[in-house]
Amino acid sequence: MKKQKWQNSTFIYIGFIVVLAMIPFINDSRSLLFLIMQIFIFGIFAMSYDLLLGFTGIVSFGHAMYFGVGAYSVAVMMDSNEATVMYLILGLSAAVVIASVVSFVAGILTLRLKSHFYAMLTLALAGLFLVAAEKWRSVTAGSDGFIIMIPDILRDHSTMYLLCLSVLALLFFGLRRLTQSPLGKVLIAIRENEQRTESLGYKVVHYKVIASVISGIVASIAGGLYVLTLRFVDTSVFATDVTLDALLMTIIGGVGTLVGPIIGAALIEIAHHWLSDLSDVHWIFERWIILFGTIYILAVIFFPKGIVGTLAEKLGKRRKQRKKEAEQSKKIAS
Amino acid sequence: MDLLLNLAVNGLATGMLIFLLAAGLTLIFGLMDVLNFAHGGLFAWGAFSGVWVYDLSGSFWLAIIGAILTGLLLGLITEYLIIRPVYGNHVQQILITLGLMMVLSELIKVVFGPDQKAATPPAWLDGSLIVGDVILIKYRLFIILVGFLIYGVTYYILKNTRIGLIVRAGVMNKEMVQSLGINIRMVFMLVFMAGSAMAALGGVLMAPYSGVIYAEMGLEYAILAFIVVVIGGMGNFTGSLFAAILVGLSQAFMAYYFPALSLAVNMLLMAIVLIFRPQGLFGLKVSKN
Repeated sequence: MKKQKWQNSTFIYIGFIVVLAMIPFINDSRSLLFLIMQIFIFGIFAMSYDLLLGFTGIVSFGHAMYFGVGAYSVAVMMDSNEATVMYLILGLSAAVVIASVVSFVAGILTLRLKSHFYAMLTLALAGLFLVAAEKWRSVTAGSDGFIIMIPDILRDHSTMYLLCLSVLALLFFGLRRLTQSPLGKVLIAIRENEQRTESLGYKVVHYKVIASVISGIVASIAGGLYVLTLRFVDTSVFATDVTLDALLMTIIGGVGTLVGPIIGAALIEIAHHWLSDLSDVHWIFERWIILFGTIYILAVIFFPKGIVGTLAEKLGKRRKQRKKEAEQSKKIAS
Repeated sequence: MDLLLNLAVNGLATGMLIFLLAAGLTLIFGLMDVLNFAHGGLFAWGAFSGVWVYDLSGSFWLAIIGAILTGLLLGLITEYLIIRPVYGNHVQQILITLGLMMVLSELIKVVFGPDQKAATPPAWLDGSLIVGDVILIKYRLFIILVGFLIYGVTYYILKNTRIGLIVRAGVMNKEMVQSLGINIRMVFMLVFMAGSAMAALGGVLMAPYSGVIYAEMGLEYAILAFIVVVIGGMGNFTGSLFAAILVGLSQAFMAYYFPALSLAVNMLLMAIVLIFRPQGLFGLKVSKN
């Protein structure tokens, strides 16, 4: 049996993770850790979005509902019972179950049709969840939201940080493994040419539904972590803005790469943080969405692969050229 | 009886406003194969620019003209700058139009201020009409009238004029129309502008109806319009009228009897249609996978 070789990039990623894991021991600043945690969480969320958009070519406009389902499952479970690790795990499992059911139903209904339908249905479904969360006050406390207790172990900021980082790392490697597996190859084939994949004998709809479900589950985990760091939940987790954030992060960071969404998340979260601070200087900074919306539109037209995709392409070209030159010089030398 | 009639009028009025949004969406989709997620943004822009003109001039008709002009202009810019580069690529179209939606509704906050704005109907449409012992609100009747008028005019143009013939032929087979020497791009642009103007008209009519306008209203109504487009059949103009009335009525009655379920009912309708007739209740085309 051939031993599976580790990819070079794996070492680079592990190196990055180790560096990130050191941060709380170097700088214990609360706001800094909080910002990085938000980046991790939205990185997870954007990765789940990218599995749909970048790898399978499905556009979802209701991704916030999985995020919200995760957030409320964890919050309600811990609020109505005790704030222990066991109920946290129970809440997360409930989140995963609900998210997979919702994404399965949404997928079954619309993924056999043209791409518009999935986008429309998920947009409307997310709207439904938002209304439901606002109306079902006995459980969700409406738009006022409620504060939750979290398990004692997680009260420490550094522990919480490490938890978020390890979940991100786990999901990142898991999703990377998935996209490189035969299943992932079929998903990419669907993105590239759906009819051809179908005629090669793959049940395209099944694969799309699988992608939809996995993406929903990962997004709900991100939502669960989000309430843990905030210790508060309200209906804004279901808002369209959450979906739009994921879209911006994925598109600007780079679709079809798992690192791209994380970088996109970092960019958007940092910009959000900074530009909101600047709003004291001039009110235009409060409307930072205009800037990012414009960048997003330009990115869709001119850099459909985003930052990471475009860079990778450039580097790849250069590497190829260098290889060619090296071969040529070898030929001349011999 | 009084209540039922009032609910029906209310539902019809809402239905007509949704129809004005959905009609543009469905025609643009049928002809250009583009689903414009920014359509709700045009709706909101129509509302805000109309109310602005109304506040300045005090004339309701000028407000409507202002909104329509805004719609035409925004439609022209959108088609030229945003839609044109991404023809034929569905995923990119969906993404870019949603991005535009984002920018449009933020721009409203920059241009008109971030707060909600109040809007009132003009004096001659204020108050209610009393027929026997039934009280009907004048403005709602006016909206219904305008809705049917727009439907009638558009239907006439589609069925009885040369440009309508071209549009209908384009919905059926745009390559064929193009090969007959017709500049289909020009037709695309006109239809897109007309659709945007209809959305903007819907917006300005909407403002005194709900009494208050805000930047996010575009997306809210766009969701209803999408439901209508799915139920009525993508690209089917008359279908969107019936579906809009259906959605408007169910919205009004549900909001009164089961307020919690009003959006859920429309979603359920859409889900049922998607399962059993994905081409829409009035769609004739067998859905292409």
